[in-house]
Parts: sequence; C-alpha cells; structure tokens
Amino acid sequence: MIKAEHVYKNFGSIKVLKDVSLQISQGEVVVIIGPSGSGKSTFLRCINLLERPTSGTVTVDEQNMTALKPKQVIKVREKVGMVFQHFYLFPHKSVLENLIYAPMKVKGLSKDEAVRKAEELLKKVGLLEKKDQYPNKLSGGQKQRVAIARALAMEPDYMLFDEPTSALDPEMVKEVLDVIQSLAESGMTMVIVTHEMGFARQVGDKVVFMDDGRILESSTPEAFFSHPQTERAKDFLEKIL
Amino acid sequence: MEQLFTGFKTIAPSIPYIINGIWVTLGIALGAAIIGFVLGTLLSLCKISNIGILNGFARGYTSIFRGTPLIMQLALAFFAVPQLLGLGDVNATTVAIITFGLNSGAYMSEIIRSGINAVDKGQFEAAGALGVGYWPMMKDIILPQAIKNILPAMMNEFITLTKDSAIVSTIAVTDMMRRSQIVSAQYYTYFPPMFVAFIMYYLVVLILTFIGGRIERRLSRSDQS
Repeated sequence: MIKAEHVYKNFGSIKVLKDVSLQISQGEVVVIIGPSGSGKSTFLRCINLLERPTSGTVTVDEQNMTALKPKQVIKVREKVGMVFQHFYLFPHKSVLENLIYAPMKVKGLSKDEAVRKAEELLKKVGLLEKKDQYPNKLSGGQKQRVAIARALAMEPDYMLFDEPTSALDPEMVKEVLDVIQSLAESGMTMVIVTHEMGFARQVGDKVVFMDDGRILESSTPEAFFSHPQTERAKDFLEKIL
Repeated sequence: MEQLFTGFKTIAPSIPYIINGIWVTLGIALGAAIIGFVLGTLLSLCKISNIGILNGFARGYTSIFRGTPLIMQLALAFFAVPQLLGLGDVNATTVAIITFGLNSGAYMSEIIRSGINAVDKGQFEAAGALGVGYWPMMKDIILPQAIKNILPAMMNEFITLTKDSAIVSTIAVTDMMRRSQIVSAQYYTYFPPMFVAFIMYYLVVLILTFIGGRIERRLSRSDQS
C-alpha cells in the first residue's frame, strides 16, 4: 500500500503541491488527471522520492519514505517501477542490456537469469526481435514499451506512469496503452498520470482530479466522468471531451 | 640553399636520434593523459557533488593549475620541491609526467564536468528509479555517455599535451625538442635539426587529429538518445 499524507512541495516560492493526501491499495489502478501545471507529475515523483516533499509523509509498504536517508530510499525504489514521458532508455546500451542492467547490478541476478527474464518481458511487450537493437533505432512507441519492460524487470510491486503517451505520435499511443492495460489486468498496483481520458475511464479503479496543487475529486471513473462534483472538473471535462 | 643542403647532410647521422625523441614526447603525453583523465574524473565528480569541502577543493585545485604557467609548475616541481623536501636528485621524466598529469587533470575535470552536465537529467532519474546507487550509476550510465560527448575535446587535450610537452626540455628531459637542441649545439647548425623536430611535431599532431576524427565518426554512428 502507498499512502501520501498532507504532502506539500515548494520549488522556491512556487507552491506546487498543497496538502495532497492519497491512498493506493494493493491491486488498485489510480489514474491522476488534470490540467497542465496542476502538480500531477510532481506528486507522482514525490511517491518514489525523485522529488522530496517539502512537508508531509509518503509511506510505501509501511516504510516512511520521507524519513529515510537517500541510500535507503534507493532500496525502496526497487519496489516502485517508474515509466517516464520521455522514456529515458540508456542510449549506449542495447534493448536487452537496458533490461538486464538493474536486475544484475541492484538485485544481483546472474546474467543468465536476467537475460531469461528480460526475454520473457520483451516477448510480452512484443519486442523480442528488437533485443539487440540500440534505442535510437526504435520508434517512440517501441521505446516506451521497452521502458515499461525495463521497469518490470525489477519485479516491482508498484508501477508509476508519468504521462507515458504524451510524447508519442498518435498512431503509437494504442500499442503503449495496450501494454499498460494488460498490466492492469494482471493485478499490478499502478498510479498513472495521463491525458488520455478514454483510457483513464477504461483502466482506472479510481480517478483523481488535480488542479492547482490540490486533489479536487477522487472517485470511480463512472462517477467522475458522468457526474463531476466540482465546477473546475466540469469545466475541464467540457474543454477536452 | 647550398649551405642548407650541406647542413642537413652534416646532421644526417643524428636525424634518427631526434626523430626517436618522439617516443619520449608521446610517452610523457600519454602518461600525463592517463593521470589527467583519472584525476579529472574524480575532480569533476567533486565539482558536481553537493559536499562543500570536495567542491571547494576541486574548484581551488583547478583555479591554481589553470592560473599559473605550466613551465613555472614544472620548474617548481623539479627544482624547488625536491630541494625543499630534501629528496636529492629526482628523475626528470617522472617529474614531467606527474606535473603534466596534475596540470591536465585540472583541464580534464572541466571538460568532463561539462560532459556530465550535458547528459539528460532523465538518465539520472531513470537510473535512480531503478534503484541504482550513485557510483554504479555514474560508472555505467552517466560517464559513458558524458565521455562520448566530450571525446573530441579530450583528443584536443591530448594534442595540447603532446605539443606542450616540449617544455620538458627545460628540465633536461631528452624529448624531441631537447634532442634537436643538443644536435644543434653539437654541429653548431640550428636550422636542420630544429626543422626536423618541427616537422615531426606537426606530423604527429596531424596523425592524432586524424585518429580522433575516426573514433568520433565511429561513435556517432552507434547510438544517440
């Protein structure tokens, strides 16, 4: 379980998060939506402490992340996979090397074992034949699928997705969303920041609407998309749907 | 013209001696480059760290070595320091390699630092999100990309070292420069021996530039983002 309590985050004098609390239960898929600059991504990055909250606590499996030293935070991060908008594959490593690096280095897997698991994952995302390619030879959609496989190679208990399709050409969005959806169906606990409303509705157990550094609504996709409670959410949905 | 011709003829037996000085020159440059690279890497990591004392040390170090003439540093290391510490006679070549290495470390650290800064911040985050610790991240993810970015600048640094190494002639190391002076004095004719050394330096720099270009092209073919 992931628990964020009264999280505040300031960048200098700019208050990006103002008292954000959220609980993510085992097996739950939480989708965070909202206008740009509402603090969605920052909040996501506070969960695995890529950003350190200015105040408030983030708890992952009873571990208070905000109280840990940087070295210990790294240890907890093994359990929390993250996928970025811009993929951030390691450009000097082949697809396979991207997948086996952290399992070997961090978890101490043998090369054979890491390769076996990596190939299994690549098959799952449909890119096994690309395993010896370098990232620059892949399309955006393929890069993102590799990035998802790379995160999964660490066998995380949680997955965080930071606008995983925002940097993709439109025709590549679906292949990535399909992978995320099948992951959701397999029972992975996930937090997804996205602008894909159809996808949010389809895959989410819970939809969280953020604006101006606060969570304004948190409900089932059905309830949120058919009966948004706040004016701000109504306004937002009207503009984008 | 006639005189020039006989000049070259006179020193002909000594030409191989001058030319072979290039190995001394290259040896000093290579030794210094290795020391400079290792030291430069460490200093660059100090510069990007947020530990105040390491940061201050690296900045001070760079400031001093870049802020004084290399020939002065060499004289200090060869004549002054051994006397101060009562070391007696020291090996000039060793002193030259160490001094050039320490000096080059200052320049290399700036080159490497800029290379690290040019690596996408996302690479640090991706490694961090996978639970990779600081040192393995630097060694396996960040530095390989940084060094690829700065390979041309590092090749330039090596070329600079090769040329600047001529000043070791001032502490009696028999590099190519020194040898051309020795031969000049021996035959009491200056142009031919110095011209030989001059041309050799230029040839070596051309070859190094060519090799650098090849490596760069090869690397840029492999990968990018």
